Amino acid sequence: MALLEEAFEENVLTTKVDWLLNWARLNSIWPMTFGLACCAIEMMAVGAAHHDIDRFGAGAFRATPRQADLMIVAGTVNFKMGERVKRLYDQMSSPKYVIAMGACATGGGPYYKYGYTVMKGVDRIIPVDVYIAGCPPRPEALLEGLMKLQDKIRRTPVIRKPAFTA
Amino acid sequence: MDFKAIYDHLRAVDAPGLIEADEPRLPDKETKDKGRSGMPFVRIEPASFVDFLLVCRDDPKLTFELLVDLTASDPAADDENLWVLVQLLSVKHKHRLAVKAYLPKSSASIPSATAVYRAAQWHERECGEMYGITFVGHPDPRNILLPDDWVGYPMRKDYEFPKEYHGVSCE
Repeated sequence: MALLEEAFEENVLTTKVDWLLNWARLNSIWPMTFGLACCAIEMMAVGAAHHDIDRFGAGAFRATPRQADLMIVAGTVNFKMGERVKRLYDQMSSPKYVIAMGACATGGGPYYKYGYTVMKGVDRIIPVDVYIAGCPPRPEALLEGLMKLQDKIRRTPVIRKPAFTA
Repeated sequence: MDFKAIYDHLRAVDAPGLIEADEPRLPDKETKDKGRSGMPFVRIEPASFVDFLLVCRDDPKLTFELLVDLTASDPAADDENLWVLVQLLSVKHKHRLAVKAYLPKSSASIPSATAVYRAAQWHERECGEMYGITFVGHPDPRNILLPDDWVGYPMRKDYEFPKEYHGVSCE
């Protein structure tokens, strides 16, 4: 960097492409308008003024999967809904991310034993990036989950292949 | 009218299918009767379900305009009957009535109440998918909550949980 810094006119910044693309991506994670149960109430609280998810650039809830980057699965997924969830995930354009919010979306939650139509975790049909514990999680927990997702995006190499896969 | 007066009136007009009145009672040690809590109800023949409801709705002294609830119950695994329970309310006379019909589990079928109360449509669809009760004459007997290809009736006592659904494990 130091060699290049004096080489251009003023108002020209130099950086790495990976850093620039990740910076743009992680500060504009647009979620999909999508709530399934009581966790969605907490998600609405995160969107409102007190917690204000817009501080992270993730406040633009899109009403269509084509424009969304993030699917927050906020609530109980049953088998009938699960097929719709998978279809919506398939309709999102890459790069796309999934947050499993709360006990139901993570592993069935209180319906684990006797919920005959409840899917025991949404990760049985779509890949999940971040799991959030709680029933329902506090709004702060969802913000923490979003920050974890931002950390994950920050570590992702964009223009070269990852040196290793975990 | 209270329950006693309603029952006497139903007897007086010879309501079709009326079997008996069942009122809550205290347990009795001598006859080993366990007693019963809850509200009084009238028990009717399933075959005369619609005719009975018509009398309840149209009789000027009863005028049950409102179907509050229609639901079903599986009382016990060793019981041979399912119950269909109906709650009626008269806004005009400010009285209520609970109606109950016993259906054998082997052939659970009852005429649809939708001809009398259109509010019964969704209730009967839910009873149909959850208990496997056939409501004869229902205009739209699809599932309302469960997927269309669901196997079994979840609210029955002898229901077995599915192992998988469309390739997704249920365990």
